[in-house]
Amino acid sequence: MAEPAGGAAQRRRVVITGLGAVSPVGIGADVFASAVREGADGTAPIRSFDASGFPRRLAGEVLDFDPAGHLKRLDPQRWGRSGLLAAAAARLAVADAGIDEGLLELTRAGAILGTTSGESAVVQALAEQWLAAGLPGLDGELAGQVPASRIANAVSTELGLIGETQTIPTACSASNYALGYAYDLVRSGEADVMLAGGADAVNRLTHAGFYALGAMAEDVPRPFAAERSGIVTGEGGAVLVLETYGHAVARGARIYAEVLGYAANCDATHMVHPDAASIAECIRAAHRAAGVRAEQIDYICAHGTGTPTNDSTEVAAVREVFGDAMPPISSIKSMLGHTMGAASGFGAIACCKALEQNFLPPTANVTAPDPKLGPGVDCVPGTGRAARLDIVQNHGFAFGGNNVITVFGRVS
Amino acid sequence: MTSLSEAAGTPAGVRTAAAPAVVRPLYVTSVGVVTSAGQSLAALAYPDRAEAPAAGPAVDEAVPYPPRPVRAVHGFDVKEHFGRKGTKYLDRLTSFGLVACKHVLRDGPVDEAAGPRTGVVLATNTGSTSTHSTLLYDTLTMDKPYLVNPGRFPNTVMNSTSGQIAIRNGLRGLNATVAGGQTASLLAFRHARLALTLGRADRLLVGGAEELNAPAAWAWHRTGVLHEDAALGEGAAVFAVQRDPAPGALAELLACEVRFTPDPRAWAEGLADAVARALVRSGVRPEEVQAVSLGAAHHRGLDRIEERGVRLALGGRLPAALRVSDLLGETFSAGGALQLAALLARWQAAPPAGPVAGLVTSVGRDGNAAALVVRAPH
Repeated sequence: MAEPAGGAAQRRRVVITGLGAVSPVGIGADVFASAVREGADGTAPIRSFDASGFPRRLAGEVLDFDPAGHLKRLDPQRWGRSGLLAAAAARLAVADAGIDEGLLELTRAGAILGTTSGESAVVQALAEQWLAAGLPGLDGELAGQVPASRIANAVSTELGLIGETQTIPTACSASNYALGYAYDLVRSGEADVMLAGGADAVNRLTHAGFYALGAMAEDVPRPFAAERSGIVTGEGGAVLVLETYGHAVARGARIYAEVLGYAANCDATHMVHPDAASIAECIRAAHRAAGVRAEQIDYICAHGTGTPTNDSTEVAAVREVFGDAMPPISSIKSMLGHTMGAASGFGAIACCKALEQNFLPPTANVTAPDPKLGPGVDCVPGTGRAARLDIVQNHGFAFGGNNVITVFGRVS
Repeated sequence: MTSLSEAAGTPAGVRTAAAPAVVRPLYVTSVGVVTSAGQSLAALAYPDRAEAPAAGPAVDEAVPYPPRPVRAVHGFDVKEHFGRKGTKYLDRLTSFGLVACKHVLRDGPVDEAAGPRTGVVLATNTGSTSTHSTLLYDTLTMDKPYLVNPGRFPNTVMNSTSGQIAIRNGLRGLNATVAGGQTASLLAFRHARLALTLGRADRLLVGGAEELNAPAAWAWHRTGVLHEDAALGEGAAVFAVQRDPAPGALAELLACEVRFTPDPRAWAEGLADAVARALVRSGVRPEEVQAVSLGAAHHRGLDRIEERGVRLALGGRLPAALRVSDLLGETFSAGGALQLAALLARWQAAPPAGPVAGLVTSVGRDGNAAALVVRAPH
């Protein structure tokens, strides 16, 4: 990729120093990492809406989420569930980074958050009011909670941030997009510290829509397995703290990983069917941006939705770049469900913890890869496996053909 | 806000945000608008040429709208622009975006070689409210709530419009959708600036779109954030923006700066900070600003906060003010793009004699503020 303006010499190294996870398999990065390593099942019968009319009734909900227990400034009554999940994850990430809140303001830190469905739980509640009392019966306070921008705004309000506050609703690759944009802000000198990630809430329309598309799993998600039948919808908030390497070292921060680079492109062919050639080009562009060769990649945290089409397309794209020497590739969606706009944020957190704790995250609910995916597919079936990793890549693909791939490396 | 003296308490060696550098201009080579006043820049030269239209009937008159004026885009049919193929499931929002982009690219399609280096950055509030509300209604009323229309479901994702723009025009580069409430369009320009500066694309279609429908109109009405007589509007404005200088460019985009202010009592100061930084990074002195295109004219409270913020940054002065929402009604996330279009329309209608700078500002209800500095062609 051309780098015309500025020049690499002016660019700064960007590292990840804090992780916040509010997920269906647990709250807090360490709890999340342990659960992922064990191959935990975060799915359960849906509680957030009446799913009795649906043939599939499982989702990956954050059942024990108590916003008031995490948040110091936000009034949970005035913010939607997606924003609350994001703000709680941000609180956890900042605590994990050990960064002083005053320093966040001083450095003009900001928040970039991805999402697929925005404040979907709020919109759902409004639709129920519409049905019950007609459009004039909509609650104005609730209607004010609708804008998707309130996800990043929730984070900045909760933490008193004054820097760039932007929500990026590029659907299921949105967290990776947010991470990429935040990385660009930090490496180019626009900011020294940024929070980035994503959030979404389980909701009726997403659940219905994926079923209507024929993309809903019969029971649990089984990415890369022959018997895979689709996704289970999920939710959560995933936030990472990004800062310059110099800033992190100066304050004595623990460094999980360096963001080596990322790439984003668009299939520009179809709204919902992924395109292997376009994904392969995105992988190559990410490697070029990160200054790494394919053979240096030790692990791929897959988009891995568990639909027949996604997984075969994703493996085909990976094979196009790596040949038959594909690194282990696994899907944490097997455990969380598809957390939509938060998905690649959880992927990034899993990558950071895998680098820190020397393990390969597994694909749960799977004993062997689908033979039709071809030879050499190691999807780390079942539970996590000890492994020393140095460079990993994290996939996010989305409706609209939005592919974003981030590359993380160990800082020694 | 933390005072600078408190910086002494930070660990040794920790750098605070770098001193802002002056940015290089970006060039607007083309613009496309879809508005209730018309589909050309000239139609937005308000109040120089255009008449403020009378508020018209709503889009879908079968459903009652709230008791306030509405400025809808009438006589709009996406099939007139693209035929029947591939238009069956397009919602109104995406149709506005596609037609605006068709106007932007009227001099020819993006060729195969440029496709991977050309992208989209589009502002939104919540994506398509018409699709969303219809499908949600279906899932709540149908006997089999899971049988929502699978052809329409993909339109519920908020990046649907930018994805459709990419497909129809072969734009395979960066494809971003940006939500920032009222300030979304200006966030899109800032997003695009960083991407172009870092070489992530050579050329981007940047703008915003909003659609009207009864559920969205009622939701906005019920929030109570708009003045009682403020009209609801809709429309789109999209700009082709590139890094390389172009002869005949419509405008130069200089710095776009943003600021978040959690404390409502300091929202005006927050905007003033964004404006001041944008001017410094544009190499433009406050007294050089000859026009300001305001965004919050119809918002209770925010209208005064915006004007106060601009005055604070410009030494007490409010330059010639454009309020495009007087012409088009309230267009929310598309507002910033339509404000820029109005500024360009003004300059096109009455070309300035010398190098003139203009300002586009926006403030949002949670404390978002943004300011874009623009230079007229010279």
